[in-house]
Amino acid sequence: MRVRQLKDLLAGRLMIAFAIFSSLLVFLIAIALYWRSKPILEAKSLSDLLLGSTWLPFQGEFGFYPFILGTLYVTILAMIFAVPLSILSAIYLAEYAHENLREKVLPLIDLLAGIPPVVYGVFGVLAIVPLVEYIAPVIGKLGIPFLRAESYSTGFSLLAGGIVLAIMVFPIIISISHEVFRAVPSEIRDASLSLGATKWQTIKHAVIRTALPGIAAAIILGFSRAFGETMAVLMVVGNVPSVPKSVFDPAYPMPALIANNYGEMMSIPLYDSALLLAALILMLVILLFTLAARLVLIRIERSMAHG
Amino acid sequence: MENLSLKNHISIQDLNAFYSGHHALRDITVEIPQKQITAIIGPSGCGKSTFLKCFNRLIDLTDGARASGKIIVGGIDVLDGSIDITDVRRRMGLLPQKPNPLPMSIYDNVTYGPRIHGIKDKKRLDGIVEKYLKIAGLWDEVKDRLKSPASKLSIGQQQRLCLARGLAVEPEIILCDEPTSALDPLSAQHIEQQLLKLKNDYTIVIVTHNIHQAMRLADYVVHLYLGELVEYGPASEVFKNPKEERTRAYINGTFLADLKTDAEINLKGNVCPYNFMYAKQALHDLSNGKLLKVVVDYPTAVTEVPRGMEADGHKVLSVKQINKTDWEIVIQK
Repeated sequence: MRVRQLKDLLAGRLMIAFAIFSSLLVFLIAIALYWRSKPILEAKSLSDLLLGSTWLPFQGEFGFYPFILGTLYVTILAMIFAVPLSILSAIYLAEYAHENLREKVLPLIDLLAGIPPVVYGVFGVLAIVPLVEYIAPVIGKLGIPFLRAESYSTGFSLLAGGIVLAIMVFPIIISISHEVFRAVPSEIRDASLSLGATKWQTIKHAVIRTALPGIAAAIILGFSRAFGETMAVLMVVGNVPSVPKSVFDPAYPMPALIANNYGEMMSIPLYDSALLLAALILMLVILLFTLAARLVLIRIERSMAHG
Repeated sequence: MENLSLKNHISIQDLNAFYSGHHALRDITVEIPQKQITAIIGPSGCGKSTFLKCFNRLIDLTDGARASGKIIVGGIDVLDGSIDITDVRRRMGLLPQKPNPLPMSIYDNVTYGPRIHGIKDKKRLDGIVEKYLKIAGLWDEVKDRLKSPASKLSIGQQQRLCLARGLAVEPEIILCDEPTSALDPLSAQHIEQQLLKLKNDYTIVIVTHNIHQAMRLADYVVHLYLGELVEYGPASEVFKNPKEERTRAYINGTFLADLKTDAEINLKGNVCPYNFMYAKQALHDLSNGKLLKVVVDYPTAVTEVPRGMEADGHKVLSVKQINKTDWEIVIQK
């Protein structure tokens, strides 16, 4: 009897400890990153670090500007491809597709989310990079801003990174916004249709409007996924630390910077600290975005539940 | 025999409806007269709402549902797949069971239909908003806050807004699917009054499981039972002298279960002292000796409402629990 109760007590305590530990982990990582990046924050001003564009660790120059821009550009590019495609797919699946089709397509999309990033990277190198190399001179001649090809493009570029990332965030945005569309009460559709609206008018004016906060949350979650994605992007984006002027130029996003360099040349003063600062910035931005998206989704869930 | 001179507006012939195998409506043939209120009565699950959904073909939205037969409105068969269903729907306003304002302002709710049908002129839209909010009896309450979200209105106001929104596309027919079942008694009364006014200009079909409501409103009655048409005819005849035993049983059964109450209010979701105030208000509208049924789910109300009513000089006839959470209190004024 005693042993049984003791085990019960122990099991309870142990599980609480594990639960607390895993939820504290995020804070532990943030604190450790901050602590390790303190030396560079003390040696340089934050604005020099964030806005400086020279990256010469040997000479003690750590300007993150090209990396921050590289991350932003590749993420924004990915979202430009992914958002319209995913939202339209989600609308089709939720509003038009027959149940049979929906049941077959959704698991496939979820499967897409489970493919390891390195596989996407290989796919990018083999398929997307040559494609970009091929189209760069053609489109580059048109002289559209951001689409010029000043010099020869190897294909390892912002555009390749954007396309690969877009494919990776599709499943997140599709499956969340599909859920959001399904959660729109059928009364909203009834109201619009009974006034003589067509199906598309109903979706455009009533359904999307109701689903808007949820779609925003889906996009933000996709954004934070793209923002921190490392492996696939690193393989196709070219990794040149300069500010890209065209989508055909190579870029160097922050996750790639950390992954490529951490552990090497650690004897350079402040180098380790600089890389960990990059990690800290990355983590804080993603945390912020994810938190915002979760809050929106929770609010929607509540408002739907309470009618 | 004045009724013979009435024009029929909707002609339903051999209507059958199926929900993925379930035969929801069987061979219904009935005529719905123009500019009259036709009530569709029957117990829950008898196909009343399905019947209504066939009229504007909202039944199409349900996966695996289909309807066959003919519903002829103005020479057009609604169930014919080749017709422009959006035009048919525009000609039939829908007042739903639960108010379903669109997630936009009061103004935008009313102008939603007209805008969809291509009206862009701001002055014309302003005129439409004022006209139909007045018809729905909501204008005075909202004229100063037309731009505020429709969701901020009370449930009763939302339902009148839905009425105004439906009327704004100039339908000929108004379909009501238990339009007062989610409303407090005052709002319900308000909607009923609007419907009685509107029957001069519109053909109204109302689905209700509230016999009293049907008696108050209907000129014609259609009784459905388990998807079959049991009886239809002028309300006076069906209620006084039902031809069918099943109709008689349904009407009497409802009365017995109701203790022949004259009014009922549903106060579920309300707390004290609002329960008490609403009950008092409803009693105030009744003449002496009439019965009021109050349904509450707030535990304190079960003892406090009867006590308060007796203190006011009314007689409490019965207090009984009708299900896990709800209690029914019958009060005589």
